[in-house]
Amino acid sequence: MLGDYTATLTLIALTAIFAYSFYAVLMAGQLSLGQAGLASLAGFSATVVMPDSPVVGLSPLVVGIPVGMLVGACVAFLLGLPVMRLRGVFLAIATLGFAEMVRIVLINAEWTGGAQGTSVPKLVTPGIAWGCLLLVAYWFWRLGGSRFGRGLAAIREDELAARAMGVHISRYRMAAFVTSGAIAGMYGVLLAYFSRFITPDDFGFAAAVDGLVTAVVGGSLLFLGPLLGSGFLTSVPEIQRALGVEAGWIRPFLSGLLLLVVILFLPGGLSSLIPRWRTPRLDPSIPAPELPALPPPGTSVLSLKGLGKAYGGLHAVRSVDLELGSGEILGLIGPNGAGKTTLVNLISGLSVPTSGTGTVLGIPLGPEGQGHRFARAGVSRTFQHSKLFDRLTVLENALVGAHVVTRPTLLRRLLWLPSARRDEQRALAQAGAQLARVGLADRAGVNAGALSYGDRRRLEIARALAAHPTLLILDEPAAGMNHVEAQELSTLIRTLAEDGITVLLIEHNVRMVLETCTRIVVLNFGGVIAAGDPATIAKDPVVIEAYLGSDGPADSRV
Amino acid sequence: MRIRTASVSTAAALALLVTGCASEDPADTAAPAPQASGGGGGSGEDCVIEEPVPVGAALSLTGAAASYGQSQQKGLEVALDDLAEKEGVTYELAIEDDATDPKQGIAVFEQFISREPVSIILGPTLSNAAKTTDPIAQEEGVPVLGISNTAAGITEIGDYIFRNSLPETAVIPQTIAKAKESLGLEKVVVMYSNDDAFTESGFTAFEAALEEEGLETVETLTFSKADTDFRALLTEAKAAQPDALVVSGLIEAAIPLVTQARELGIEVPIIGGNGFNSPQLMADAGAAAEGVIVGAAWNSASESEENAAFLEAFEAKHDGKPDQFAAQAYTGMMLVDAAVRAGCSAERDAIQASLGSLQDIPTPLGTFSFDNREPQHPAVVQIVEGGTFTVLD
Repeated sequence: MLGDYTATLTLIALTAIFAYSFYAVLMAGQLSLGQAGLASLAGFSATVVMPDSPVVGLSPLVVGIPVGMLVGACVAFLLGLPVMRLRGVFLAIATLGFAEMVRIVLINAEWTGGAQGTSVPKLVTPGIAWGCLLLVAYWFWRLGGSRFGRGLAAIREDELAARAMGVHISRYRMAAFVTSGAIAGMYGVLLAYFSRFITPDDFGFAAAVDGLVTAVVGGSLLFLGPLLGSGFLTSVPEIQRALGVEAGWIRPFLSGLLLLVVILFLPGGLSSLIPRWRTPRLDPSIPAPELPALPPPGTSVLSLKGLGKAYGGLHAVRSVDLELGSGEILGLIGPNGAGKTTLVNLISGLSVPTSGTGTVLGIPLGPEGQGHRFARAGVSRTFQHSKLFDRLTVLENALVGAHVVTRPTLLRRLLWLPSARRDEQRALAQAGAQLARVGLADRAGVNAGALSYGDRRRLEIARALAAHPTLLILDEPAAGMNHVEAQELSTLIRTLAEDGITVLLIEHNVRMVLETCTRIVVLNFGGVIAAGDPATIAKDPVVIEAYLGSDGPADSRV
Repeated sequence: MRIRTASVSTAAALALLVTGCASEDPADTAAPAPQASGGGGGSGEDCVIEEPVPVGAALSLTGAAASYGQSQQKGLEVALDDLAEKEGVTYELAIEDDATDPKQGIAVFEQFISREPVSIILGPTLSNAAKTTDPIAQEEGVPVLGISNTAAGITEIGDYIFRNSLPETAVIPQTIAKAKESLGLEKVVVMYSNDDAFTESGFTAFEAALEEEGLETVETLTFSKADTDFRALLTEAKAAQPDALVVSGLIEAAIPLVTQARELGIEVPIIGGNGFNSPQLMADAGAAAEGVIVGAAWNSASESEENAAFLEAFEAKHDGKPDQFAAQAYTGMMLVDAAVRAGCSAERDAIQASLGSLQDIPTPLGTFSFDNREPQHPAVVQIVEGGTFTVLD
């Protein structure tokens, strides 16, 4: 029975492999349409290098496929150098331009046979096609639970937060792009040696769109997505043919309708039908890993000299001097627009100062795109408007937080080395311990997007703590909390400081700041207007005048 | 979709048993294997085969080439009606859509070869699909008759691959020779889209034919099949002051190119490849199409008995005029009938043998013979005059 459908079965595998080349970048939130061009280059390269006779008794494809993948990966790398800085639709357009360029070049080249294409022998059997597909699927299956896979998912969900957690954005995005190129290369070779004929026109815009549609219909959140998408889209015309549906307009109409139904009712793709049966479980018997000790109290954590940030003529932060020692809880207050968040972004490396100097944990504030270095050095932060990875679970969010204190596991996971499992268990224990610290342990398996507002703020803190930070920056953590919750938070922060963590707290809730902090700095119009211990600040007339704006009691909530 | 000229009757099932072809399950006769439907009695016009002869047609009924495929389908339907009136042999024609996708073409061929076996496959519509699908049939020993493939290298795939569509390499030399003789051409400008297999091979044929006839090519200009604005190229062409423009392009390019050429004041004849061979040219380019010369495999104005009968039957059934695709599809089915009757067998190998030795068959395309599986019949050189194709004298 199945033997009668060998071509269809083979095509399902090939289409799925091509869809995986889109999945590889979609899982990192990138939209690239250049894969068809890469596949084309790889396919034609294979026609040049493939030997005519078997190599040590194996199909010549053992040469062709690796060469095709290498060509795809190398060209993707070269293409990635200029285009990786682009996002969203701009990346899609740039890569589409590349694919068109490849098509034109190959059509005008002599060695490809131009528009006439090149005929090759048929070497791809269903076994080879499915074997290749299983290898690719295996790669993505093992990638899913690895540190690399979580990093890519974090970039997809929120690039800024991923960077703050120490994920090396440009390197990860490039790695995803190169992987995509290698898989597209594999597809190009397989398709040519399956259909016996390769022309540059087989890899045009329509091919790219087909690949993208397959990947999206399958879903980009689960490694099985591309396979499901391919099975669905490849078999729809076959089933219609078998059912004797009238050709002409009805078949494309039905295919389009089914596509529409899937996209409308399953925005996460067909793979969202598969229940996530295996959220990693927290095993309380495994202790949180031993991590390097935090610096002793009094060590300089942060030192700013004349730091400023101007946006055109607007000085958001001007000439700020600030010293922070280990174990302190420094409160940073000031009216809206005083420059608090800008200052925090400078300190955590998410933006670059325009004047002055500063060092954070020994790292000078410096060039663009280096935010992950601060995270690695021990700076961790939460965001004023919470930036969680909404489609990841609570536990996975915390695991991304542990990025900088865990080791890469992908290669070891592919080989099933026990050390990878141990490392993953340690990461889980580290993440789980932080969830317990903020009281979210029982919600570990819930998607972050489904959390209540207060729980979201707590998860932000747990995620930041998972990085085992020396300096923890909390950007308005109590916003939206009621009095009791704020009290609990205040207690938690003091406990953290007792554990040796230096805390920089930005907060509007003045009473909480006065109760929690050991020292307070007041900003207004981008500059420091007062600094000192809570008691002094509460009485400082300049602060009361500028910040509280009235002669009301200093402990009122603003 | 499935068109049956005769349903399988119990008598036919009995006859199958009588002819000694063992079938384990009598119900299996709904899809008889062609090997089993075997030979019949007599030969030629007297041939009788009890079982309907299964024929598959892989056509592009949807997608980019849908307009060609739909024409072919109409031509085949007319042929089936005509064949139903003849005694002795009936046909069961299965028409499948490859959606203008060579990958789906593979699946369709697989169906015709093994799942619902046929004696011979007609198609596929496009040459690039044929290069992918025909080797499968060749390997499995299933004869294929291309009814619209004009690219080079089709019949080279193997000895089971035939076509009745004159390739450009056959039509174009006749076109150039006729145009030179009739119009006294000396130098031409050649334009072609170099990113399409069909038009590029057309260009190669033009190049060879021009050299053969000793015409001077003063300029060769290339464009893309997606282009719609040719004014810059045409201005360049005009400056070369040629006696004619020679263009290898698809109909989508032909219409704007011809229109813009006339707008720019290029009044010389425009000689087109097979892409220009469509009534759409006159319909959309209007008066600008006047003076376009195009070679064709089929002379719609031919007054031969077969052509007149075909035109009449087509217009009666389909309410419109046939194009070359319909005529070639019709002829293809007629050639299959001739081959089946010649060997009086529905066996794949018998059909392959008979088809290859068909000689001097009267068809709407003219008197038709196969030479080494390639079609042999006169081409016609046409010029647009008064809004229609007329034979160039």
